[in-house]
Amino acid sequence: MYRNHKTGILGIIITIIVLIIIVIFTNGEKNSSFFENVASKLVMPVQNGLTYLKNKVSGNHTFFTDINNLQNENKELKEKNSQLEQSLRELENIKSENETLKEYLNLTEKYGEYKTMPAYIIGKDISNYSKTIIINVGKKDGIKENMTVIADQGLVGHVVSVTDSTAKVQTIIDTASSVSSMMSTTKDSIVCKGTLEGTSELKAMYIPTDANIIQGDSIETSGLGGIYPKGIHIGTVKKVESTKNIVDRYAIVEASVDFNKLNTVLVVTNQ
Amino acid sequence: MKKGVIHLMLIGLAYLCYFLQANFFSWFTIAGIAPNIFIIFILFVGLFGSKTMGAVYGIVMGAILDVLFGSKIGIYAGTLGLIGFLATIFDRNFSKDSRMTMMLMVMGSTILLEVIVYLLNYAIQGINIEILPFIKILGLEVIFNLLLTIILYPLMQRFGYYIENQCKGNQILTRYF
Repeated sequence: MYRNHKTGILGIIITIIVLIIIVIFTNGEKNSSFFENVASKLVMPVQNGLTYLKNKVSGNHTFFTDINNLQNENKELKEKNSQLEQSLRELENIKSENETLKEYLNLTEKYGEYKTMPAYIIGKDISNYSKTIIINVGKKDGIKENMTVIADQGLVGHVVSVTDSTAKVQTIIDTASSVSSMMSTTKDSIVCKGTLEGTSELKAMYIPTDANIIQGDSIETSGLGGIYPKGIHIGTVKKVESTKNIVDRYAIVEASVDFNKLNTVLVVTNQ
Repeated sequence: MKKGVIHLMLIGLAYLCYFLQANFFSWFTIAGIAPNIFIIFILFVGLFGSKTMGAVYGIVMGAILDVLFGSKIGIYAGTLGLIGFLATIFDRNFSKDSRMTMMLMVMGSTILLEVIVYLLNYAIQGINIEILPFIKILGLEVIFNLLLTIILYPLMQRFGYYIENQCKGNQILTRYF
């Protein structure tokens, strides 16, 4: 127990600050602009003050010549700025809508041979150890278990359970997922399994001893196993790990789908 | 009547935990790792609530999580129920007045739950055992849970003793030993 109330509150405040700092630092580039903003807010007032003093000392009197005109001009500019900001927001909305529609169109064109159903991702797994997602289509849209889910860049996963209006999808990067695949060039069969490490890496195992696998090789589904249709792009070989026993060698495959930014998917309804 | 209000408040709190876990902690992470605030919540209910409250809340909340996210029914229901049950044992044997004891309980419960869930998933779904990445994730999750316990401890204690007074009445023992 803390000795008094004030020390307790101080301890909690320090813990909150430490937690926020850890979160900011450990999430890397994502928060660099936030950091820049904070730093700029801390430094800019002092810098502005110093610049003002410097201007005054060096005889820059133009600042004081027509302060009323400047104030009016400033007011007008602010109004114009707010109008422009509003138009910009509207344009951004239209742009985002346009991008989503384009994404759907690209997906449908690319996988024209399959009958597909577009869907939005509405939820992600709360656990740190599994990577399932929830999409906004379900039984009433014709979705069934084991249907393949794809995105513009490639394979996402398959449906593991369905409710009336939602479906749970096990992604290929989930630790419980294993996809029967093959190398696009040599057609050698391998199995791609999800790992705990990273959010876009797969482990390619059971590589045939005579197979020549190199960095940059493209990996696609083999069609074996009964869930995924043949020829859907999975990713590219990032690194080949050699072991003492050639049977145990494996490769790290970088998934082509960016699961952190994934928002829209297509469910293949006829395979 | 008052017990009914307490249960309503706890259900509200459970919903808040779910909301925080699914939304806020999906981006407020330590190196991409989120805490598991359900463990803290169930431990809290088990420590301050009546004998069976922890286990019941653990099983119900776990079952809901199983339906929503787990691919096999019962994993979270069983493990969170176990945490709730363990919390009542902790209550009989340890003091809740010490922040350090509370932190140790949270640490132990987090490790126990995640290890059991991982082993169950290994047995049921046949996942590959990856010891080092698992320890790394678990370590960060434990640190996150401990930091949250330090922050939330005063609130937990205040609200907890209110629940304890209503649910246990004159059966409260640990505070006087």
